[in-house]
Amino acid sequence: MPLEVVKLKICMAGEGAVGKTSLIRRYVLDQYDDRYIATLGTKITKKSLTVANPAGSEPLQADVILWDIMGTSTVRELLKEAYYHGAQGILAVADLTRRDTLIALDEWARSIRSVAGDIPTYGVVNKADLERERALPPADVESFFRERGWPWSYASAKTGAGVHETFVGIVKHVLGSRA
Amino acid sequence: MHGPHPGGVPLAIERPDTASLVRQRLMANADDVDALFVLAALRAQEGYLEEGLTILDHVLRIDPRYPGAWRFKAKLHGMQGEAAAEQSARRRAEEMER
Repeated sequence: MPLEVVKLKICMAGEGAVGKTSLIRRYVLDQYDDRYIATLGTKITKKSLTVANPAGSEPLQADVILWDIMGTSTVRELLKEAYYHGAQGILAVADLTRRDTLIALDEWARSIRSVAGDIPTYGVVNKADLERERALPPADVESFFRERGWPWSYASAKTGAGVHETFVGIVKHVLGSRA
Repeated sequence: MHGPHPGGVPLAIERPDTASLVRQRLMANADDVDALFVLAALRAQEGYLEEGLTILDHVLRIDPRYPGAWRFKAKLHGMQGEAAAEQSARRRAEEMER
């Protein structure tokens, strides 16, 4: 029997160079490139995954549409309706080695929610392979996400660690909020 | 911004500003849709809405399904008080999103 299919638009959020594009590339293509190439405009990537159905016994096929956008704030407000319309979840990305990138997630979430409403957010602290350059104390990370009620994880687009769990996590969080 | 360094000391990664990046990309390829989309936004932000719309129309000729382009077009028409054009662009956006 074919699985029930749900389509989900998930918007990536986070400052420039935190690894939004790299996380997608790792998850969808299992590839990583050390070179930094700033994203211009919008990139959409689609990925299907089978997940447990929080509202039933049969698993679901989630067709996830990942919207990857520029991390710079230059024209973000002007483009927010274009980017965020219809978004059902936010994957909020911070960089373990840059403290400001965690704090910046609040503004990203505010901007997205001003268009898409109070949609679920999942946090990910990327570049977990750079533990020696950590700028975000573990306790600060935990309290940041706990205070906001965002599930979260560490990940490394470079090594692949935590990446699959992150994307499954946001999907489950969105589906769970609808159940 | 910082990146990895063999000695453990973070290096600053120079990220070009958006306008410079757009210029570089368009010099390499005048039909770079991503760069054109952002150029449309930059021009609109500077107050040149008509020019932004012209560039956006070029984006949509190259790629009628460019993500967000129809919705952005609707926004710019709305900012110009062009209700009919705004509605038309919004309808196209909704068709693309199905």
